[in-house]
Amino acid sequence: MENINTHTPQVAVSQHISSYKLLFTVFAGLILLTILTVLVSTTFTFSVSLAVALALMIASTKALLVAYYFMHLKYEPRFYKWMVIVVLALFTFFVIMLTIDYFTR
Amino acid sequence: MTTTIAQPSYLEGKKGLFSWIFTLDHKRIALLYLYAIIAFFLVGMTLGLLMRLELLNPGKDLVEPTTYNQIFTLHGVIMIFLFIIPSIPAVFGNFFLPLMLGTDDVAFPKLNLLSWWLYVLGAVFALATLVFGDGPADTGWTFYAPYSVKTGTNVTMAVMAAFILGFSSILTGLNFIVTIHRLRTPGMGFNQMPLFAWGLYATSWIQLLATPVIGITLLMIVAERVFGIGLFDPSIGGDPVLYQHMFWIYSHPAVYIMALPAMGIVSEIIPTFAQRTIFGYKAIAYSSMAIAFIGYFVWGHHMFTSGMSGPAAIIFSVLTFLVAIPTAIKVFNWVATLYKGSIDVKPPLLYALAFIFNFLIGGLTGLVNGALAADIHVHDTYFVVGHFHYVMFGGTGFAFFGALHYWFPKIYGKLYNIRMANISFAIFFIGFQLLYFPMLVVGLMGMPRRYYDYLPQFHVPNVVSTVGSWILATGILMMIANLMVAYWKGKKARKNPWHGITLEWQTSSPPPLHNFDKMPEVNEKGPYHYKNAMDQ
Repeated sequence: MENINTHTPQVAVSQHISSYKLLFTVFAGLILLTILTVLVSTTFTFSVSLAVALALMIASTKALLVAYYFMHLKYEPRFYKWMVIVVLALFTFFVIMLTIDYFTR
Repeated sequence: MTTTIAQPSYLEGKKGLFSWIFTLDHKRIALLYLYAIIAFFLVGMTLGLLMRLELLNPGKDLVEPTTYNQIFTLHGVIMIFLFIIPSIPAVFGNFFLPLMLGTDDVAFPKLNLLSWWLYVLGAVFALATLVFGDGPADTGWTFYAPYSVKTGTNVTMAVMAAFILGFSSILTGLNFIVTIHRLRTPGMGFNQMPLFAWGLYATSWIQLLATPVIGITLLMIVAERVFGIGLFDPSIGGDPVLYQHMFWIYSHPAVYIMALPAMGIVSEIIPTFAQRTIFGYKAIAYSSMAIAFIGYFVWGHHMFTSGMSGPAAIIFSVLTFLVAIPTAIKVFNWVATLYKGSIDVKPPLLYALAFIFNFLIGGLTGLVNGALAADIHVHDTYFVVGHFHYVMFGGTGFAFFGALHYWFPKIYGKLYNIRMANISFAIFFIGFQLLYFPMLVVGLMGMPRRYYDYLPQFHVPNVVSTVGSWILATGILMMIANLMVAYWKGKKARKNPWHGITLEWQTSSPPPLHNFDKMPEVNEKGPYHYKNAMDQ
């Protein structure tokens, strides 16, 4: 009987190794951004909206760092980066439309 | 090509209950889904028949108003979350995607089994609402706040059911995306993929990206009910319109989770029964992606009367009309494929043609709903119920049963009685029109939806509709009986009874455990190049 294994990936899997130095640098960056988030929330007490907006921007930066380095997006083909960009675009559209609705009611 | 000894089919392998409920074979998992989904469809259909029976006459006939609300909610939850959303991807996607791609399984077989178990767990939660607490939710399947936050019925358990079922859907979508990217047989590029695979690919992206939004939203309902956090209830600082935004950000793309695989099936059936190369392959394939993409931007058209702002409503109305373009591209291409084809009118083709007919009515009535001014008049009337059922049941439902007739010989290796299939289709189709067309009429006359009672002037169309529900149920039961008889006593099916040329027809009926006894041959000129099809 012919043994056919058709369960073979079409794309070759490429290997990459991130240095500890890079990973710890990114980790330190994430800790600093966390501290910054706390500082923003205590400094901008006169405007909750501003504090929330700044906190969201910092959180988005942290998410990008995690995706780019810890989830290895940096090493993926351009196609996968475009997938992430499309998702971010969709999310941005959601936020824009909700904002339009809220401010024009 | 190497001649090989045929392996036993996937049905002849291990026996016993455990060999099924813990199987990692995509074909057996597909059948687990099939039996569960058909069972829930019959439960949902029974609830629908009860609703139609209550509406046979004005006033109370059968059930109390609250019970009626609970029946239509459970009908919606079962039909949406347990039937239509999983139906085609989970059954026919699971069974045929690896076969059509020429591979031996999906990328993550264990994840696939987990999806099915999550489906079962979600179903248990949905049905448990019947026996726990104050009975099933009475909110409608949309769980609109603030009522869903305040009602004493079992909303928490119902939304948890939808939450769990969402995970099942996400895992299936993830599995299909990776399978399509990584496991296509050598020589099969994206543009050599069958159009059903394209439909599943577009659907999977929606499952993966949109479903988490409903998951979070439903958890917020639970948080508000259990902890009193003011998210959606205005009396404690929440915003009910925010709930509708978040609900429809998922639930409108979910309409395309339901419709896109159905369109993929029609794209398979039509070239096979016209024995003709499909017209506009790339246009159909890319329009699936376009529908999935544009579908993300139109959710607000469900909210024109909700209190959403005027400028936002105008933007959503304009975007809504854009979806009609790729949908129309598909319809024109299907019709063009039939033109001058060697048409063989068999039951699967009848279902595919019924899909086009019903989907056209559903789509065109959708334009009425998408137009801002017209929607003000028809919103929350039976016109919307009619439109929705023409799209979902007349579209996806017919495509599901069409697929069942198309691939039944491949799945079970048996042929059904064609004459009985034609008769049951005719009864099903006539019953469908009698059931749902009067809803469009009474909707335009002003009959509101979600009430167990109505004014006397709506009586005649409601009688027609209820009689239609009996005819439809008769057709469906005949169809299922015909297929069950075929399973037990049907003639043995040949490898390729319809002369199809996509890869699933190159293997035996039913397929062996590892799908192919020899490497399938990919047609370099595309999956629907029919020149020598009759020679096979």
